[in-house]
Amino acid sequence: MSSIERQNAGPQPQPATRAQPMFHRVLQADSHDVRRTLTDLHSRFSSQISADAMGRLELVLAEVMNNVTEHACDAAMPGAGPGSMHLCVVMHDTGLSCAITDDGGMLPADCLKPRSLPALDPLDLPEGGFGWFLIQGLTQSLCYYREEHRNCLAFTVPYQQAEI
Amino acid sequence: MPKLIVNETEDHLVIRIEETRIDAAIATRFKDRLREIVLRGRKPVRLDMRCVDFMDSSGLGAMIAVRKALPETLPLVLEGLTPNVDRVFRLTRMDSVFDIRPATTLQE
Repeated sequence: MSSIERQNAGPQPQPATRAQPMFHRVLQADSHDVRRTLTDLHSRFSSQISADAMGRLELVLAEVMNNVTEHACDAAMPGAGPGSMHLCVVMHDTGLSCAITDDGGMLPADCLKPRSLPALDPLDLPEGGFGWFLIQGLTQSLCYYREEHRNCLAFTVPYQQAEI
Repeated sequence: MPKLIVNETEDHLVIRIEETRIDAAIATRFKDRLREIVLRGRKPVRLDMRCVDFMDSSGLGAMIAVRKALPETLPLVLEGLTPNVDRVFRLTRMDSVFDIRPATTLQE
């Protein structure tokens, strides 16, 4: 059906084209706001997707939004308090498409390069450095671009994922 | 303050985490509180994680910091991991570092 036909489709919606839930939020780059956003996201999608996909979606978005909170917004406005970010999640045929934008400093290029885990030295275990590894492992079509002063990160979290 | 219920027996410290999320919003306070408890106890620790249904990498970092604060000879056993928490340990290979056991052992 073309977009014109769809617009003229009449007042009775067909069951097959029933709208799927989506999620859009502008939030403060602050860990408590990130938590609230993830809790709301959970109630929006949890009845629609498997618990496994929901868990992966929530983990990826937590890692991405925590990064924005920790790094991106400090660089943009030192001392000016937290900036804001936009999150948008929609359901597609094979997965959940996500986009996060923020006004912070540019993402360092090596975040997107293929990552391995930080070395697991049993005598000095790493306490961080897992975030981008998790993001890369749990997403598909991960892409980043900078548009003037804005960072845009987009990716898909598949409904089904084989064990890594 | 993160809710941690401590039950001290003669040879163990059983700590139940009564938080549903160990995330960036509480990771630092959680780490400080838990580390304080396990260092004061000086006994093998069993951590009951059944209530936790979400953990991110900052939560994982807190768990690793607590493991590192304990002498290597003192066991830290994690029990009752929910699927979301288990996933983070598995994906980061930290399941090979921690002693992870099913919740059933709690019903001794």
